[in-house]
Amino acid sequence: MKRKLLGIIDATTYHEDLDDLLTHRSLAALPYAGRYRIIDFVLSNMVNSGIRSVAIFPKMQYRSLMDHLGSGKNWDLNRKRDGLFFFPSPVVGSYPKGIGSFDLFAANMDYFYRSTQEYAIITNCYTILNMNFKPMLEWHMHANCDITEIHHQDGRSLEMYLIKTSLLMKLIETRFETGYSCMKDVVSDIHNDYTVCQYDYDGYAVKIDSIESYYSTSMNLLKPNVWQNLFNNDQPILTKVKDEPPAKYLKGSSVKNSMIANGCLISGAVENSIVSRGVKIGKGTVIKNCVIMQKCQIEDNCYLDSVILDKDVRVESGTHLTGTAGAPFVIRKGTRQGALMNS
Amino acid sequence: MEKKRCVAMLLAGGKGSRLNALTKDLAKPAVPFGGKYRIIDFTLSNCANSGIDTVGVLTQYQPLLLNSYIGIGSAWDLDSKNGGVTVLPPYSESSEVKWYTGTASAIYQNLNYLKQYQPDYVLILSGDHIYKMNYESMLEYHIEKRADVTISLIEVPWAEASRFGIMNTNDELRILEFEEKPSEPKNNLASMGIYIFSWNILKEYLEMDARNPDSSHDFGKDVIPRLLEENKKLYAYPFKGYWKDVGTVKSLWEANMDLLEEDCELDLFDHDWRIYSVNPNRPPQYISPDARVMESLINEGCTIEGKIDKSVLFHGVTVGKDSTVKESVIMPDATIGSNCFIEKAIVPCDVKIPDGTVIRSFDDEIILVTEEMLKALYSAY
Repeated sequence: MKRKLLGIIDATTYHEDLDDLLTHRSLAALPYAGRYRIIDFVLSNMVNSGIRSVAIFPKMQYRSLMDHLGSGKNWDLNRKRDGLFFFPSPVVGSYPKGIGSFDLFAANMDYFYRSTQEYAIITNCYTILNMNFKPMLEWHMHANCDITEIHHQDGRSLEMYLIKTSLLMKLIETRFETGYSCMKDVVSDIHNDYTVCQYDYDGYAVKIDSIESYYSTSMNLLKPNVWQNLFNNDQPILTKVKDEPPAKYLKGSSVKNSMIANGCLISGAVENSIVSRGVKIGKGTVIKNCVIMQKCQIEDNCYLDSVILDKDVRVESGTHLTGTAGAPFVIRKGTRQGALMNS
Repeated sequence: MEKKRCVAMLLAGGKGSRLNALTKDLAKPAVPFGGKYRIIDFTLSNCANSGIDTVGVLTQYQPLLLNSYIGIGSAWDLDSKNGGVTVLPPYSESSEVKWYTGTASAIYQNLNYLKQYQPDYVLILSGDHIYKMNYESMLEYHIEKRADVTISLIEVPWAEASRFGIMNTNDELRILEFEEKPSEPKNNLASMGIYIFSWNILKEYLEMDARNPDSSHDFGKDVIPRLLEENKKLYAYPFKGYWKDVGTVKSLWEANMDLLEEDCELDLFDHDWRIYSVNPNRPPQYISPDARVMESLINEGCTIEGKIDKSVLFHGVTVGKDSTVKESVIMPDATIGSNCFIEKAIVPCDVKIPDGTVIRSFDDEIILVTEEMLKALYSAY
């Protein structure tokens, strides 16, 4: 297995619907579930499946993504042989239209030439799931497939593809003759020359492509069957280590049905919410149905319902902010909210 | 090897026998503390935060977990090409196996490790204490005083003074007398077991001590008294702040409870002096709709369905429905079933407490829950 599968993560996707949360970062680096970035899920899936060589293709605003991944040490990918590779797109401007753009790969053909792994798995960066790819590879080999596309049991394509590395290289090199610009083009052409198979995944898998899906899937995490499916000790989701102390619950705090990350100092009430690392919640403050990202400071006597606070937001004492389940109130990164600003 | 101005030697072989079952399989410095740390994290983080990048860690008693925990020191950013952490276990020579018989002999047997770095100063630490201290400031003090040896001291309650090494000094803080665990202490200024030696003095006196067949090879009992006898310049470095020797089940419990105070003197949330540890990489803690958490410290990977009051929970702890955990310390991956009541207890790693168990103390004793205790409790039914 070790030398059998290459991991390729297409991190070029941009969703305009997520604009408010993506001004400083790429989609792959969007914080999720209190202590993770979205890319941690597919990346950890790869590492847990025994993949030792992962190539990440980012585009634009990849500073936060690079800062997060570093040398790959937290995923045990800082290796002498293989490891983590980062291939920013050499072309500025337009975004590729499908997952696994051959133009993007063509700019880094050397990686494929140098790799000895027989198979490659190509994934997007915005799916939240905890899947082991090993059984799929065995199934793919056994069924003599050329390309396997992962589908969710309910029929949705998860936009992840398994393919022989040599065939992938051929597709990249012949892209002008065939007219195929990405993996999706190949599998959706019913006249293609390949055996395209479909592998059904029955675990939890959701796509983050809008504020609404970001918010609703975040709220989903509070359902025990969802978080138990995503988080287990055998296939841990790995992320950048922050050395925060445990969360501290102070006098007057009351927390219910929530996920709380380390480094939080909580004096107020929290209900149905995801609270990320290093957040401070003041006395008399009520947080309901919210997603609070890293290092936000919510002072005393605030009331927040159905709000997404991006990183480093400071909410001053006495502020009331309310959104709805369908349209959560989004506060951009690093801003300050005063009591009189939104009343 | 690059020359180093100051090298730290961390004595981590302590058995900590008064911690009973907690140190049956691991050395005292490896005992879990504060919801996510092990005791040794404080000393190693102090080194990292003080800019001391070369640390020899001397292990002897039950070193397996400690050795693998320290690894190459990357958790404390001490995995550098020059220096970094080196675990120094006892070794055998052609004629004999040289166990570390005392604090001084442990350092003496590793003089070759120190010689590689040609240090000007050697900082000797113990991995048994909980505190935050800038060793760099202590070193500056040592240099300023032109001392041969500097010993950090802390004021302890008079009632406890006879448990420590007590120093009598003059007004300039020059040490005139050092008494190891005196029955009638003359003052309450206790040694914290932290020494800075100028290299030549350390080498000379350790070699002298090693040749002395009557010595117990201990810094406090043998080396320091000898230095004082010979009129060397020993200075006390006064330390103010939180410092605790968590040598007993009670004091370990108390130190954990200290962390729950609103203005805890030992601030774990200070980003300028982080306490580093090996990260377990678990998901955020889940607090269920039925749970209640009050004045507690809870680490990642916990699943809480019961009531937690004034307690410290390490990573991966599960507390079932309708259970109450009060004024207790629950160590990594312990499981508490439903309908339990646990009060004033320490539950060690991986212990599983069955549904409906009641553990409470009727005096002020802290209960250290063990698998044997649970077996005895349940075999009665």
